Amino acid sequence: MPSLPSHQTRAQRMDRFMAFTISGGGILIIGAVLAMLLFILKEALPLFAPATVKRAGTVQAAPSGGAWLDESGKAVVLASRTGGLSALRLPAGTALPVPSEGPALPWRALLPPDTRGETLVIGVDGRLSVARLAWSKPAGENDPAQWTLEPHWQGGIPLKAFPEAVLHFRLLGGGGLDGGQTLRVVARFPEGLAWLETPLDATSAPAWTPIPLEADLHPTAAAWSADGQNLFVGTREGRLLDLDPASGAVNASATFGETVESIGFALGQSSLLVGGAQGRIAAYQRVRVQEAFQLQAFHRFASLPGPVLGFQASLRDKRFLAWTPTQAVVDHLTTERRLLSVALDGRGHAALAPKGDLILQAGEASGALNLWSLDAPHPEVSFGLLWGKTHYEGYEKPEYVWQSTGGTDDFESKFSLVPLVFGTLKGTLYAMLFAFPLAVLGALYTSQFASPRLRNTIKPTVEIMAALPSVVLGFLAGLVMAPLLERMAVEVLVFPFAVLLLALVAAPLWGRLPLPFRNAFGTGREVLWMVPVLLLGVGLAYLAGPLLEKTLMGGSYRTWLQSALGVTYDQRNSLVVGFAMGFAVIPIIFTISEDALSSVPRSLTSASLACGASPWQTAWRVVLPTASPGIFSATMVGLGRAIGETMIVLMATGNTPVMDWSPFNGMRTLSANIAVEIPEAPLHGTLYRVLFLAAFLLFIFTFILNTVAELVRQRLRRRYESV
Amino acid sequence: MSRLADHFRRGGAFVWLSGTVLAFCLAMILALVGYIAAKGLGTFWPSPLVQVQTPDGPVLGELTGHEPAHGEEPAKLQFRVGNRDLFGQDFRWVTATGLGAPDRPKDALLIERLEYGPFIGRVASLSREGQPVATGPAALTEALRQLPATQRLRASIRATEKGQVGELNRKLEALRISRKKVEAKGDAAGLAALDAKVANLQADYDALQTSLEASRAALGAWTLGLETADGQTKELPLGSVVRVVPANALGRLDKAGVYLARLWEFLADDPRESNTEGGIFPAIFGTVMMVLVMSVLVVPLGVITALYLREYARQGWAVRAVRVAVNNLAGVPSIVFGVFGLGFFVYSLGGTIDQLFFSDALPTPTYGTGGILWASLTLSLLTVPVVVVATEEALGAVPRSQREASLAMGATKWQTLWNVVLPSATPGILTGLILAIARGAGEVAPLMLTGVVKLAPSMPLDSTFPFFHLDRKFMHLGFHIYDVGFQSPNSEAAKPMVFMASFLLLLVVVLLNLFALNLRRKLRERLGGSTF
Repeated sequence: MPSLPSHQTRAQRMDRFMAFTISGGGILIIGAVLAMLLFILKEALPLFAPATVKRAGTVQAAPSGGAWLDESGKAVVLASRTGGLSALRLPAGTALPVPSEGPALPWRALLPPDTRGETLVIGVDGRLSVARLAWSKPAGENDPAQWTLEPHWQGGIPLKAFPEAVLHFRLLGGGGLDGGQTLRVVARFPEGLAWLETPLDATSAPAWTPIPLEADLHPTAAAWSADGQNLFVGTREGRLLDLDPASGAVNASATFGETVESIGFALGQSSLLVGGAQGRIAAYQRVRVQEAFQLQAFHRFASLPGPVLGFQASLRDKRFLAWTPTQAVVDHLTTERRLLSVALDGRGHAALAPKGDLILQAGEASGALNLWSLDAPHPEVSFGLLWGKTHYEGYEKPEYVWQSTGGTDDFESKFSLVPLVFGTLKGTLYAMLFAFPLAVLGALYTSQFASPRLRNTIKPTVEIMAALPSVVLGFLAGLVMAPLLERMAVEVLVFPFAVLLLALVAAPLWGRLPLPFRNAFGTGREVLWMVPVLLLGVGLAYLAGPLLEKTLMGGSYRTWLQSALGVTYDQRNSLVVGFAMGFAVIPIIFTISEDALSSVPRSLTSASLACGASPWQTAWRVVLPTASPGIFSATMVGLGRAIGETMIVLMATGNTPVMDWSPFNGMRTLSANIAVEIPEAPLHGTLYRVLFLAAFLLFIFTFILNTVAELVRQRLRRRYESV
Repeated sequence: MSRLADHFRRGGAFVWLSGTVLAFCLAMILALVGYIAAKGLGTFWPSPLVQVQTPDGPVLGELTGHEPAHGEEPAKLQFRVGNRDLFGQDFRWVTATGLGAPDRPKDALLIERLEYGPFIGRVASLSREGQPVATGPAALTEALRQLPATQRLRASIRATEKGQVGELNRKLEALRISRKKVEAKGDAAGLAALDAKVANLQADYDALQTSLEASRAALGAWTLGLETADGQTKELPLGSVVRVVPANALGRLDKAGVYLARLWEFLADDPRESNTEGGIFPAIFGTVMMVLVMSVLVVPLGVITALYLREYARQGWAVRAVRVAVNNLAGVPSIVFGVFGLGFFVYSLGGTIDQLFFSDALPTPTYGTGGILWASLTLSLLTVPVVVVATEEALGAVPRSQREASLAMGATKWQTLWNVVLPSATPGILTGLILAIARGAGEVAPLMLTGVVKLAPSMPLDSTFPFFHLDRKFMHLGFHIYDVGFQSPNSEAAKPMVFMASFLLLLVVVLLNLFALNLRRKLRERLGGSTF
């Protein structure tokens, strides 16, 4: 076979190369575009990943009565009545130096330190002191050997009587290291509960005041409220009381169901954690329900085997540690998720690191320290929280709430997507309510009744309408239409009725005009003659509006709305949004519907007209039903656009996540929420991932809508090819 | 009666109804565009300064609005009185009744200045370095004479600050970063050399600052003594004056001159007063540059994908599904693209690039934060479907006869594509590109997340190497509208600017679309609907 000339081989080689490049490039690009969805999903999925628990070792130590873990997880301070404070390096277990000052050993009473490192001790000399343990770390020093433990002992208050057990204490006022603070302590005596209040720098012994309780109640646990004014008391009979310590008056009470074993607080000190002798765990809060304070159980957790010995709260979020002799669990308050559940080998004390990522258990008998690490980056989100009603702190009942950030560190993030989805649906509904009739009727007129020349002017105009940037629409909606509507709400609402009336009057009047005139200027051009009707309608509305307002609404429509319907009027409300979004959506529905209506085969319309039907009857009863799949498809596409619209919603609503259908207040949609919150969301944090989840939902939903619309359109096209 | 019922049934009225509805839609479009055009274009025309006597004293300003009597409230007039530093707010509502006859004093002035918005009042005196030079009308004439020189001086100070001082700052910053590297290596000799360079640059910097100080002092030499309608006085250095408009003393031609001057300032100058005054040139430039980078990215992506789908892929249900998927991508909300751009481009890709190439500058991110490159990439992803659809249409419209003729002559598939099909399809591809540009110029939501800022310290294209700074943030016309309208402290005063910016954006987008649609229509007529 003769060899090919060189330019031909080159051409063939180039052909093969380009085929490879283009195919490769095409596949790559398509893959990249579709991988977008996967990336967004990948960023959102870690929200639902279960927590990972790992055994972090065992350390031998002397038996202790309490432990406090450092934030870095590298050191632990143990407290025991016989040996005082001792510190160990983790995970090695070697000892660290501890200052020797402090109450005289052996201690008469020791309250185990909480996650903040606060503890109360009664020394052998009968003096009561409080400590706030802290490590002093030279700048950037990671080696615990270089740290110094500073217990910040304060108090040294002599006591006259010594209780059976100190239950809880609270420091009030002052708020610094320099004293001026008051200490309140509640303790259990053989006769019952008693409390004392003393300034921290007191030198004389304060008196214990007994707390009067009902005769049949035997207190087992007690804790001060956050402001130190109320006392929460748990009893053997299974009652939980909120009482005023001075008078013993019970402000509120609740039934716990079994003997209260221990009481603790979650971060923020407003949610009460109660543990029972048979392992029941519940969270209570003081809420105002109908003018009275109630102690309300607002979260319940899975029971544990055995009596709940104590609670430790994380300082980072709302998770807490609870333990019994045989099991330790870490639960999250808001979602009621169990993040960690490990078996223990005997009675002892447990501690939680401030970030909630390290759990330590000290056996009472053996003193061995067991450590577990917990990795739960998003405990405050669960499927139930995203989509169901959740009972948040401070709320009367479970609600759908979106409130992602707050001013304080102990803020409870509320990530319910339901108000956002509701807002999206609300905005879409109002937009479609406005856009659908306008677009479909307009398309009907353009395809069936307008003259060809007019049609060629109308179609490009509407396509230009489709090109309007939504920023401009949003700006007009927010800064021009909203104030206008506020001033002239009644006129604007009267306008459509005025125009309707005039249109129905103009029609027979038009029929009276001489035929030559109508033929020359009329057929196919009615739309132009409606412009004066529209202007007349505007004028009529302008005149009738104030009249109606004065007669029917007593002068101001806002007060009428408030008194008659109980709704407030916001300037940036759903009517404005509906109008602006409708404006954005009308051209989409119009174009596709007009295409569908025009492609109805001529034979059908001719046949109908030949049977004697009027143009309108043909259009309404023959063309519209035949083209209805196309109109359906148009609505789907328009719906997709309305759901994803961001800028108009950002600018024309108050962006408040309200959940009612009133057209007079605003809304917050998924898309606007993403745009507002994601720039500030910490990278890979919970809010970041929830927003990615919202983006994923938007993507999937609009994609499905558009695909359904496209398939319907293709089927319609094939159907007409055969007609 | 039956005639009426019959008439109703025949539906003539409903035809009218649907016609009305259509008329309403069209009227809305025209009203919207017209309103923006009128408000926007009317922004710069100097309106007359009206003085009225109210019970609280005289009020001098532009008449900007009126509210008719509503219920018990009387009719009100809104005046733009300016003088934010003296009055606290730009606008004032005045009851329309009980005013004296409105007066248009010939000596009333509107002075546009660098801070606090315009001053509305009269010139009382002109002084030079504390010594009064002229009073009354003579002061105004003398000030107008001195104004051009002052403005030139101010412009040259500005140019020096941005140019030379900025250049020195950049060099010092670069030296600081390399100093960190050298210090880490422990190279004492290198360190000494660097320190010498730094000292040199510092000396230049100080010299420049001294000369700038002298210029600034010269700028502050002339001072205008001004007086408002109600007698308050204000000393304004001539260097802060941008324009003096004696609105009531101007003839038609002069007003047109002021109009054109303001229009030119709007298009070519930088913004001042937190974006509520001055010009929007950086926003226009940023939009244009972003659109350019986006086009450079989107055309190859779209054309390759369309070529693959139509020419190289085996036609079957899989390719049809992919085509449907790519088309439907056009309907996905733009914010989703923005989220993807933020997560993938900015944080993942940008973070990796920073770790690999710009680790010295960390923790300040270079590419790990929004910038024009990521914004353009995001928008090109957004507009790829548009280009793909248009290119596929164009490729399909090339007659089979031409392809077959080329293949019959012995050309390879690629040669056919490159020499016969693509040239014919180029107008269609162009249409797609224009539609993509129109869409990209108007989208704001994805840009908000990937690199647009309210006020960019420098532009992505300037005279320092490497000239194209793809990591810089930029300003965008659409975002400017959102920001000035909704996030500026004085949105009422800024509204005219926003209208003009909206009009500009609208004009660009509408013209692009009209052009593209026209092109498409002509192509369809020429090639005859083979696939439509």
